Amino acid sequence: MEFDMIRFLVAFCAMQLLFTAVIHTAEKNKIFPYEINKEVLNNGLTVLSVPYESPGIIAYYTIVRTGSRNEVEDGKSGFAHFFEHMMFRGTKKYSSQAYNDIVKKLGSDANAFTSDDWTAYHLVASSSALETIMDIESDRFQHLEYSVDDFKTEAGAILGEYNKSYSNPFLSMFEKLQEAAFTTHTYKHTTIGFLKDIQDMPNQYDYSLQFFDRYYRPENCIVVVVGDFDQKKLMELTNKYYGTWERGNYVAEIPKEPEQNEEKIVTMTWKTPTLPMLMLGYHSPAFSDKNIDMPALDVFSQIYFSESSTLFQKLVIEKQLIEFIEGGAENHRDPYLFTIITRIKDKENIEKVRDEIYQTLSEAAITPVSAERLANVKSHMRYAFAMSMNNADAVAVTLGNYLQLTGDAESINRVYDLYEKVTPEDLVNVAKKYFSKENRTVLTLTQEETK
Amino acid sequence: MKLFSVILAILFIMTNAHTSPIKTVELRSAKSPIVTFRLQFRIGAINDTEGKEGINAFTSHIIAQGGTKELSYQQVVEALYPWAAEIDVIADKEVTTFIGNVHKDHLEKFYKIFSDLILHPRFDEEDYTRLKDEGINYLQNSLRSTNDEELGKQTLQALLYEGHPYGTTNVGTVQGITATSLDDIVAYYQAHYTQSNLTIGIAGGYPKDFINTMLKDFSSLPVGKITVIDLPAPRAISNLEVTIVDKPARASAISIGFPIDVTRSEKDFYALMVANSYFGEHRTFNGVLMNKIRGDRGINYGDYSYCENFIQDGGTRFIMPNIPRRQQLFSIWIRPTKPEDAHFSIREALRELKKLIANGITKEDFETTRDFVKNYSKLWVQTQDRRLGFALDSKFYGTEFFIEKLEKELKSMTVNDVNNAIKKYLQFQNAAIAIVAGDAKELQEKLSANATSLIVYATKVPDTILEEDKDIINYSLHINKDKLKIVKADELFEK
Repeated sequence: MEFDMIRFLVAFCAMQLLFTAVIHTAEKNKIFPYEINKEVLNNGLTVLSVPYESPGIIAYYTIVRTGSRNEVEDGKSGFAHFFEHMMFRGTKKYSSQAYNDIVKKLGSDANAFTSDDWTAYHLVASSSALETIMDIESDRFQHLEYSVDDFKTEAGAILGEYNKSYSNPFLSMFEKLQEAAFTTHTYKHTTIGFLKDIQDMPNQYDYSLQFFDRYYRPENCIVVVVGDFDQKKLMELTNKYYGTWERGNYVAEIPKEPEQNEEKIVTMTWKTPTLPMLMLGYHSPAFSDKNIDMPALDVFSQIYFSESSTLFQKLVIEKQLIEFIEGGAENHRDPYLFTIITRIKDKENIEKVRDEIYQTLSEAAITPVSAERLANVKSHMRYAFAMSMNNADAVAVTLGNYLQLTGDAESINRVYDLYEKVTPEDLVNVAKKYFSKENRTVLTLTQEETK
Repeated sequence: MKLFSVILAILFIMTNAHTSPIKTVELRSAKSPIVTFRLQFRIGAINDTEGKEGINAFTSHIIAQGGTKELSYQQVVEALYPWAAEIDVIADKEVTTFIGNVHKDHLEKFYKIFSDLILHPRFDEEDYTRLKDEGINYLQNSLRSTNDEELGKQTLQALLYEGHPYGTTNVGTVQGITATSLDDIVAYYQAHYTQSNLTIGIAGGYPKDFINTMLKDFSSLPVGKITVIDLPAPRAISNLEVTIVDKPARASAISIGFPIDVTRSEKDFYALMVANSYFGEHRTFNGVLMNKIRGDRGINYGDYSYCENFIQDGGTRFIMPNIPRRQQLFSIWIRPTKPEDAHFSIREALRELKKLIANGITKEDFETTRDFVKNYSKLWVQTQDRRLGFALDSKFYGTEFFIEKLEKELKSMTVNDVNNAIKKYLQFQNAAIAIVAGDAKELQEKLSANATSLIVYATKVPDTILEEDKDIINYSLHINKDKLKIVKADELFEK
């Protein structure tokens, strides 16, 4: 079966290709120290490029601003991730085998990943491979074609991916936490999806065509190129390979999560030996590069849950009640969760550890941190960012993460500017606002009692 | 195609123009804002003392995650934190490597702490208790219980190297860690952390004469002598020796392997790398195994092979540096399958291996795979940290820089070299197989009876695959019935 859209695309071959160019120049005081070139095609495709000193190498990302967040229909959880797999199943021009032969010949490091909010297809390869990459990538984004049988075979690999992660309780814990914490929003399921939906995937071929038609459209995608390339050549090739891609118009109606009004408690047992684990989820705001709350929560996570925190010192080093503790809110397009996870050495101490965490959060809502501590955290965040920019791929994926959130590369600079502006009072405010009993879901995992 | 010609044009110096027994590797790059250290001691799990298995890793962790004479562990953490500086350690079989990364703004202060951790470790009782718990919990509650793929790999190593110094996990055993006192650790440190065992690796934007400061400082370690112990030959594997790890599991994790007598030190290794890449390149769709088991049949998530000890480096798909070995193994990793497909998958993997040995690879496949390896290997050294790691590995194997050596070997390699290496080092008859399974007894019976392993597909598959399946489902596996055993997960890595 062919895609109907292929016929549409042929008709749009003569589409005009004027670029709207906006050139950003790196400024010294910005956290992102490299020049960013941005061009938007008339069909809505954004192309961002960053010259970076990686002689002879480029990182090439195609970002689709669609993830498991977009799985709005019942029974379709995990579909964005499944679709990521199908993107390797070939086109008329380049079969799956032909695509892989090219990638192999280039010696490129090629893969893809899906998260709650986005899907990314990425290659790191020789600069001289740029045109070949643009040819094969633009082709599959416009002309993907696979058989029902290929589709069903790939569904087996998805189940295999679920199975490989299953022995670790974290997958099940996140499944349960998200399912309990969210009543309405699609963050109710993990990216890989509910097992029952994964098992039903072989029957969803027609839906997969609809999924491609909805989301794999230029206005929903961003191409990011980082490394050693020629900007003029890049844009000529963009024109050549992506110019005929037809714009779409689908906008997903993502349901809004209502406010949580009472504490939710989830308990789980695990069949094989495990230390007890505690996971707390507090509803937190969506990513913003304008509002201070989310940047303040990122700083909050460092102050109260990093290795340098008082809680870590007390529970891991002094009292040795736990193996580790982590806490933070991942950036998401919609309000998500500030999650705190700890592994407790003795079942008897679960409540004691939980209360220590509650106590820390309560105190944070009353007592401002010292200016020195706050300065250390800000310094850590700046240096951690600088040290992470150590290859073209790292630069591309970091930039991609901010682009998928807002569509604007400058978000990265704006959010780091906000980090600098976070005050002790902001931290008190977010502690009061988000860490209430009514706003949390508490999940406890213990080992199943032997009979 | 012109490829990555400049990436290796970095300042690559191997310095030995000093009289100290300490060996050095420098990769200075004045423009880099980061300074990377890799301080490597020629000691590893093979140096563990009997009854105290794990003492090497324990000692290295109490150094890297402990305090100095001046600073407690928490004070070290607090000091490093504003700089986002990192200190880590890899304690492997033959070498133990302390890794430090810092922005050059803080080089001096960082170096004082990093060097003090190794030269003047605190050996604090509280750090000892914390890390002892961590080691035991890792074995009891993580490895045995919540990571079936790693459990399969570690079981394979234990099986292959029974009675050999490579035979215990790098972390040790539950009883070994339990029996190790803080005094034992101090004694181990004093005996092994010597100038003779040390190679200093440094890369990035450090001052020109920095290495001399380091040599001077580290000369406070005892001179000692190199404590490389002789390795016996690995035991002979007889037919297919299968260990099934019995534990609750949704799916079956499979690892297959056998020792091979070739390392990066020898020319043949590079030909074998090409063969291996063709057969099972890690986490790509290039390999025969991946295409046959996952691509054609959708049995699982991935299927790969390796011609040396392989650990994936973090979020990359590349080999982790600084896990070198004088004795290597060939292994196949079949990611978890549905329990009913485990037997079939083992058959298919070994049948493909047999075909590889019988038929070799074609000239065309050789050429495309050689080009892939040549180009792909350039990506293994994109960061200075990994470049430094590979430079240390090259020193271990006594070769020029690994990536350059590989390129040189590939240039003169022929398809015959590859096919000769396949015939010389690979075989399919004698291998160890570790399977983590929830249906241990049933699987054992099927393997023992050489029972037909029917496979049911969710969809229509091409006739060519069904034809091939007819051979696979009855492919004879020569199971060594005396060594076909079931072990409970909680019995593993105990002593």
